[in-house]
Amino acid sequence: MRISFERSGGFAGITMKTAIDEKDLAPDEAQKLRQMVEGADFFSLSKRIVPRSPQPDRFQYDLKLEVSGREHTVTVSEEVLPEKLKPLIKWLLEKSRPPKKGK
Amino acid sequence: MRAGRFIGIHSIVPPYMLEEIAKRGEPHQQDWALRNLTAAGFIRGQRFALGVIPSAAPVGHKSRTVYDCKHKDGQPPTGTLVRKEGDPAKKDVAVNEAYDGAGATYDLYYDIYQRNSIDDRGMSIVSYVHYDVNYDNAFWDGSEMVYGDGDGEIFARFTKCIDVIGHELTHGVTQYEANLAYANQPGALNESMSDVFGSLVKQRTLKQTAAKADWLIGAGLLMPNIHGKALRSMKAPGTAYDDPTLGKDPQPATMKDYVQTTSDNGGVHINSGIPNHAFYLAAVEIGGNAWTKAGKIWYIALRDRLRSKSNFAGAASATISVAKDLYGNGSKEMKAVQKAWRAVGVI
Repeated sequence: MRISFERSGGFAGITMKTAIDEKDLAPDEAQKLRQMVEGADFFSLSKRIVPRSPQPDRFQYDLKLEVSGREHTVTVSEEVLPEKLKPLIKWLLEKSRPPKKGK
Repeated sequence: MRAGRFIGIHSIVPPYMLEEIAKRGEPHQQDWALRNLTAAGFIRGQRFALGVIPSAAPVGHKSRTVYDCKHKDGQPPTGTLVRKEGDPAKKDVAVNEAYDGAGATYDLYYDIYQRNSIDDRGMSIVSYVHYDVNYDNAFWDGSEMVYGDGDGEIFARFTKCIDVIGHELTHGVTQYEANLAYANQPGALNESMSDVFGSLVKQRTLKQTAAKADWLIGAGLLMPNIHGKALRSMKAPGTAYDDPTLGKDPQPATMKDYVQTTSDNGGVHINSGIPNHAFYLAAVEIGGNAWTKAGKIWYIALRDRLRSKSNFAGAASATISVAKDLYGNGSKEMKAVQKAWRAVGVI
């Protein structure tokens, strides 16, 4: 399983990205990822979960999931983020944060 | 004339009456009023409405309230009322910044453009601070402003910059006027209007002329260890930051470098650099305080000429035509606006 994630928009307009391959994760983290993807029912989500009038300066999340030849992409606005997708987004946001800088 | 636009085909009842009904009517009347307000673009989704209308009721003069979310998220945001109009300053710096910034924004619109608050009907200006945990953002949710504290690593608190506050409030003004669609060129124009008036709030507060102003958006919002002076530069789009971990400011200054993308609602925070730079060029060419003439031209275009699908070319012709009406055909002001849009490659 491979997942690519991008957060764009927000007042700052600074894009954060990450791409994660399940193979590179520790076994417990890989299991956590699989559970979050299942919990989000990812393959049944609409491709675009965006309101007709998006709220200004909200984040936009773009996700692409590839698993055993299957692929699905989802674009979702922060203000309509489905509850079941929240844990996965939160985890991906942590993964895409730049590493902390030393003092 | 403007009131007529809101009434539209959905209802012949003016919005302020709909708000009253939504607040005080029988449940079925409330539903009807909310449906009409929603259809008219006043409220984006009924679920926001009930929590929002009581605090955003029209009062006819400057009326600010600041709520503390205490690090909770949620829609609509919830919090404790910590400062209302006329209250003395509190210990919490974010509360005072939100209050003072909302005041400076109200004053620019009222003193210079004779606009009474976000809706021009004196609606209360409601701010929520300390939203969520380490929240790297500020936004206008259709009815109120919401500010995060930042993560303290990349971003400081979002109330820190008065232009951020002016930016968010201007999203409200835009929603009540041109209601520019939040995607692609209309969305980038929407963003640019917020940067323009956010910057003007800052310039007026600092008593800076167009020549003296820094024309930066969000100066001081990035933490000191990040390589960047701000988030955007209207004077030199694309130069606000260049950091090994954050990357480089992606804003173009001219149409030649327009960015086609599906991210960020079609690059609304990226391509806003083009109309931002046009405003900067016009304001500097006209000279003096940017809010007096250039600001007035842009404000009237936003209020009376632009529509939800307006693109950059539409903004160019609207501002040129307003400059002509205000200052005369072939006036220095009109020529400055023309020259600015030409320089950024829009006309």
